[in-house]
Amino acid sequence: MDMFKAALFNEIEKLYKKKKVMAAVWISLAIIVIGQLIIVGMRSGFGLRGVGSAEFPMLVLSVAVNTILPLFTALVAIDCFSGEFSHDIMRMTLTRPVSRLKIFTAKVVAVAAFIVANLLILLIISTLAGLLFNVNSADFSTLGKTIVSYIVSLIPLMVLTLGIVLLANIFKSGISVFFVSILVFLALKALGLFFSQYSSLLVTSQLDWYNLWMANSFPLAKIGRELMIMLGYAIMLFTGGYYLFDKKEF
Amino acid sequence: MEKAIEITNLSKLYENGRGIEDINLDIYKGDIFGFLGPNGAGKTTAMKVMTGLIRPDRGDIRIMGHSITEDYEKAMAEVGCLIEIAQSYPFLTAFENLKQLSRYYPNVDQKRIDEVLELTGMLKYKQEKPKKFSLGMKQRLGLAAAILSRPKILILDEPLNGLDVEGMIDIRNLIKHLAENEGTTFLISSHLIHDVELTCTRIGVIYNGKMLNVDSTQNILNSYASLENYFVSEVERNGHV
Repeated sequence: MDMFKAALFNEIEKLYKKKKVMAAVWISLAIIVIGQLIIVGMRSGFGLRGVGSAEFPMLVLSVAVNTILPLFTALVAIDCFSGEFSHDIMRMTLTRPVSRLKIFTAKVVAVAAFIVANLLILLIISTLAGLLFNVNSADFSTLGKTIVSYIVSLIPLMVLTLGIVLLANIFKSGISVFFVSILVFLALKALGLFFSQYSSLLVTSQLDWYNLWMANSFPLAKIGRELMIMLGYAIMLFTGGYYLFDKKEF
Repeated sequence: MEKAIEITNLSKLYENGRGIEDINLDIYKGDIFGFLGPNGAGKTTAMKVMTGLIRPDRGDIRIMGHSITEDYEKAMAEVGCLIEIAQSYPFLTAFENLKQLSRYYPNVDQKRIDEVLELTGMLKYKQEKPKKFSLGMKQRLGLAAAILSRPKILILDEPLNGLDVEGMIDIRNLIKHLAENEGTTFLISSHLIHDVELTCTRIGVIYNGKMLNVDSTQNILNSYASLENYFVSEVERNGHV
C-alpha cells in the first residue's frame, strides 16, 4: 500500500506541476464567467430571463460534461500515459520497487482526482456566479440535487477516461490517441442519435445520466441498470488497459 | 560467495531476430561486473530484462534471491539502475525529480537527495529543470537517481554516455568508492573496453546475444596484454570474427 500511495502522490504532483492542467482549470473558470456574462447580457439587452441562480450550475454541467470535461480529461489521461511512453520517461518509475499494477492504478486514480477537482471547481464557481449575478432569484432548494448531479457525473467520465487509457496503451503517439478518441467520441454521439433506442448503452449518452438523478419520481431501476452498464465498461476497459500496459516493453 | 544476481537460461528475441539467447550468469556480492560487447550484442536487452522493462521469452533472473518475474517489488527493492540515456521529467527540477523517486524508499530524505546531487556534481543545478541540461548533466542526474536509495546492486548501462573526460573520471571514482566503502555490487555494460578494464573486477563477453566467457579482470590481464586482445581472441575463438 505504501508503494501505491507513493505512486499516487507522484502522479498527482506531476499533474499539478504541468501547465496543461492549470490551463484546463483556468479555461473552466473562464467558461463559467463568459457563460454568466452572456446570460446577464441577454437579460439586460434583450429582456430574456436565461437561467436563475439555481439553474446556472446545471446549465454549466450540461455544457461542460459534453465538451470541456471530456476534452480536458482526454488531454490529461493521454499526458499521463502516452506523454511518459515517449522519450522513455516511464522507465524512471518502472525501475523502482513498485509493480506495474500499482503504477497503472495510481495513474488512473490521479486522472480521477483531476476530474473531481475540475467538477468541484465548476460546481463552486458556477454556484457562486449564479448567486452573484442573480441575487433576486437566489434559491437553495435544489442545491442538494445539483451537488449529486456533479458527483454522479464522475462515473461516466471515468469510463471515458478508461477508454482513452486503453487507446493510449494501443497507439504509440499521443496525437493519434487524441484524434482517435475524438473520432470515437463523435461516432458514439452520432450512433446515439441514429439509434436512440440503444443510446443508453453508449458512454457518450451516459454523460447526461445525471438528469436521471434530477427526476422527481426517482427512477431507481433505470439508474441501477445504467450504473451496472457503466461499471461493466469500467471493469473491461481497466482490465484491457492494464493488460496492455503490463505487456508493454520499454 | 553469495550470489547477488543469478541469471538462468535467459532468452529474449525480438522480431528482427536480435536479442539474447540462453544466458547463464552469476554475479556475486561485491563484484564490479563488466558486460563487454559491441553495439547490438544484447547488453541493453539483458539489462532491460533484469530491471523488468521487458519480459523474457524464457528463463529467469533472481536478484538477492527474489525472482524478477514473480516478485518484482522485492527483487527491485535493493536495486538502482540507469538504462541507456537517463531520462527525467522535464517540467520538474532536478531536486523534484529525485524527490519523486525518494517516495518509493522509506529511508531517503531531503539530506540524502542533496548528498547524491553533491556526489554527482549536480548540487548547483538542484533547482534547474532538466530540459535545459546537456546530455552529460542528464546522465549525472540519472546516476544520482540510481544511487539515491543506497542500493546494494547497481545496474548501469553505458553510464559514461555523454560524459566528458572529467565526468568519466568522476563516475569511475564514484563506482570504486561505492564498491569499496558500501560494498555495492555493480553490473556495468559498456562498449568502451578501456573503461571496463579500469573499472571492473570480473568481465563477461557478450556477442550476438550469447555469453562467450566470464573471467576475472586479473586473470584476463595475466594471460593477455590488454582486455582488447582478450575480447578479440574470445570472439575469434567462437568463430564470429
